Amino acid sequence: MNIKILDSHFREFLKTPATPKEVKEMLSLTSASVERVKKIGNDFLYDIEVTTNRVDLMSVLGVAKEAFASFSQFGKSAKYLPPKFNKPAAGTEENISIKNNPKIVNRICAVVLSVNVKDSPKFIKDRLEASGIRSLNNLIDVTNYIMREIGHPAHVFDFDRLPTKTIVIRESSGGEKIKTLDGKDYVLPGEDIVADDGEGNIIDLLGIMGLENSVVTENTKRILFFIDNNDPQRIRKTSLALGIRSEAAVLNEKGVDPEKAYETLLRGIELYEQIADGKVLSPIYDIYPNKAKERKILVSSEKISQVLGVEISDSEIKNILTKLNFQVSKKNNLLEISVPTDRIQDIEIEEDIIEEVARIYGYHKLPSILPKVESSIASKYTNSFFWEEKVKNSLKYWGFTEAYTYSMVSKDLYEGTESDAVKIQNPLNEDLVFMRRTLVPSLLKVVNENKAYDEVKTFELANIYHKRGDDLPNEIITLAGIVKKENASFYEVKGIIEQLFNDLGMQGVFKKSQKSVVGASIYINKEYVGEIEVLDNNLIDFELNFQALIKHAASAKKYKPIAKYPPVIEDLALAVSESVETSEIIHEIQSKSSLIVEVSLLDQFADTRTFHIVYQDPNKNLTTKEVSEIREKVIKSLKEKFSANLK
Amino acid sequence: MEEELISSKNTAISFILETETLEELEDLKLQFLGRSGKLTLLIKSISKLPSEKRPEIGLLANEVKNTIEQAIKNKESELKNLKTKARREKIDVTNPGILPPLGHLHLITQAISEITDIFKKIGFQRVRYPEVEWDWYAFTALNFPQNHPARDDWETFFIDAPENKKYGKMLLTPHTSSGQIREMEHSRPPIKMLNIAKCYRRQSDVSHTPMFHQFEGLVIARDISIVNLKGTLDYFVRSYFGEKRQSRIRPYHFQFTEPSFEVDVSCGVCNGRGCKLCKEGWLELGGAGMVHPNVLKAGKIDSKKYTGFAFGWGVERVLMMKEGIEIDDLRLLYSNKLEFLNQF
Repeated sequence: MNIKILDSHFREFLKTPATPKEVKEMLSLTSASVERVKKIGNDFLYDIEVTTNRVDLMSVLGVAKEAFASFSQFGKSAKYLPPKFNKPAAGTEENISIKNNPKIVNRICAVVLSVNVKDSPKFIKDRLEASGIRSLNNLIDVTNYIMREIGHPAHVFDFDRLPTKTIVIRESSGGEKIKTLDGKDYVLPGEDIVADDGEGNIIDLLGIMGLENSVVTENTKRILFFIDNNDPQRIRKTSLALGIRSEAAVLNEKGVDPEKAYETLLRGIELYEQIADGKVLSPIYDIYPNKAKERKILVSSEKISQVLGVEISDSEIKNILTKLNFQVSKKNNLLEISVPTDRIQDIEIEEDIIEEVARIYGYHKLPSILPKVESSIASKYTNSFFWEEKVKNSLKYWGFTEAYTYSMVSKDLYEGTESDAVKIQNPLNEDLVFMRRTLVPSLLKVVNENKAYDEVKTFELANIYHKRGDDLPNEIITLAGIVKKENASFYEVKGIIEQLFNDLGMQGVFKKSQKSVVGASIYINKEYVGEIEVLDNNLIDFELNFQALIKHAASAKKYKPIAKYPPVIEDLALAVSESVETSEIIHEIQSKSSLIVEVSLLDQFADTRTFHIVYQDPNKNLTTKEVSEIREKVIKSLKEKFSANLK
Repeated sequence: MEEELISSKNTAISFILETETLEELEDLKLQFLGRSGKLTLLIKSISKLPSEKRPEIGLLANEVKNTIEQAIKNKESELKNLKTKARREKIDVTNPGILPPLGHLHLITQAISEITDIFKKIGFQRVRYPEVEWDWYAFTALNFPQNHPARDDWETFFIDAPENKKYGKMLLTPHTSSGQIREMEHSRPPIKMLNIAKCYRRQSDVSHTPMFHQFEGLVIARDISIVNLKGTLDYFVRSYFGEKRQSRIRPYHFQFTEPSFEVDVSCGVCNGRGCKLCKEGWLELGGAGMVHPNVLKAGKIDSKKYTGFAFGWGVERVLMMKEGIEIDDLRLLYSNKLEFLNQF
């Protein structure tokens, strides 16, 4: 949340020679981030980002107090000038009956005043509008002005529109209808904090927004000025349910310090007297059943020094904390810290105190030193990341471009049954509903969306998600790719996968696919790892279970002595039926002699396949006779098994 | 005979010297040294000479033959050199070369490699944890109160699955911080973890994509301090963005760290002085902090004995902050337009 405050307003509570630019710098480094300083006329406007735990900083006073603690650390003098409030004399002309419900409201401060409605003076208007609040009339402006100055929201009723002179605080029952002061109708969800006129009519939605039936108008003569401190969780629930994000709601849901309620009332009365001819007509009511909590925290100064990484003395700790309004005393060897009431919400443990000391001391003053500690786990060089990088780089240098597509897919792109689906309950749109079970559909979409390109080679390495009952799904790292080009060749895609396998130190077995009409299923050591799919003449895809794959990957190489005797190499052209698979023939040739060390298909034309055969004996030179004997054996068996004829 | 030999030598040499092509040279070779070449015939006729003259003439004939052969050889290599020279002159070096295939790695992959390398050098080990997570790892164990807005339906993606009694709802992790607890569960201090993973949040606009990447550092050991956190992020900023870039930490608030910081990097354009790009001289990098004792407790680590720091930053964010990669709409990264991807 952000707060905008004017420099002139800020300096009403802090005397300092620091320039606005210095104010910005010092606050940003030690407290809340001043995102911008904007010059407005002779004044400057600070736009400050306040974190949600620091609702105490959502006020001019809060920021001034922080500045007071921070600036001296930079060698800038700063004097905090706290506001002084006089309690006005109680009136006797009017009174109101307030019945609180202490379960939901911590404190109520209220008073009835006679007033004159008119425009606010210029300085009020200027300060409000600079801080992003529209000036309406003096009666409403006062409530906003004190909210900005002190940080506690306030409300004003037209007293004459409350004929019962009674306010009963209660929980709403579900379904009650209200009209807020901006004319909008709402149905309350139930358990909201409301004010009732004693006759069942709701006259205020406490801590969030006033209602049309009791709001001040241009005819208002008397007001009920009302400060309520509420249960933050109920405020948040109601505000979210109704979608009313008023500034009061945003502050109240974070828990405003009830100690501030009374000061806020006094400051409001003072302002009504000044700018609305205000006269107190009633007693000053202060119903305070839930006193602000007290909290004491024990810390050791050694621990503070250890976390900061530099030595910091007890006196310096005490100096910093005291300026932040904490009380510090020694207890045994520890420091006992009393937390100020407006910090009870966010200061709970020792670490919170350490943060207070450290930030005011100044993070910028701490040195930068790398930790001198190493991980206790032995590092494995060839982990999954190693293989991922290797494979990605190979594909890159073979002309593939890497895609990153969303893990969630539409119903159209999802492959599988709905009962197998890891489905998102609250999808952002219908394109992102299912966690995908396959990658190829996402890549096909990429190809489709790049129609202008006749040739596309793309790949992705990402998780797919397989449902595992009620447990977390199995996330499987998967590699998929697509080749799109005119007359794309199955062998080109197979070659890519074979070469990947070669680089990973393993061998794949390709079998006719059981899944697709045209394609191959791929196995490593009998484990199924993936698929090549020929979609049409111009489109071939592959998808591999990368996780399964790299179990077989090996970076360790085995040394084989270099052969002492030269090999005999020859090519054998065979006429053989196309129904016989090349791998069967190779296997058959190889099985005939241990001296055949390599067999590969050299080329294929019509029914003729030429095989390249390497004969080698590690212990001696092979003679022509030995080779021809093996050859005869090979030819004979090929003829018997496959009716193959030598050409 | 003697004269004939010498004159044929001279004729041969003069012819050889005048030759301009390898073909002509081959002809000459045949004319003189071929089976019925001049010199060959002369040498054959030596046998008809009186025997006392044969040794002397034989010697001369040999010499003549060697000289001619040498001359042919020299000419041959001279002509061959000429030929390559001519070839060299035919090359237009400005014509395009024949390129080996070259694809492109995605910017995110490139950034992740760089980040991993930087942290590897100072001993961080890369890990990966589930993207589909339990509420407990993503929120509860990280000290998020039950009513924290991050748990709202419009912030985090939830999975349509029964709630787990122990771990709560199933969701898509909105940050790599869920890996902190996972890491503590399976290793003991000293811990030096780098978790880089996909994260998901329910928003999509020019500066947000529903899927994005974060890198999370976690160090837990005895006596880890804010000074160490500063040292680490300073090292990263100078390594990733450049020597001249500075970093600073400011107070901030996160549930799972105490103290918590916002980390800024000095603007590369103006070096921290303030300019149009950065407005105030500093660019926000992301969050960091000292691990909250409740988080250590959830990870079964004794917070009296150990302290730690953690940081979690967007890969996309640091990428965008790098010079030259100011992409105006983050969604472009996941559009997979080849026109975009082929640039990197």
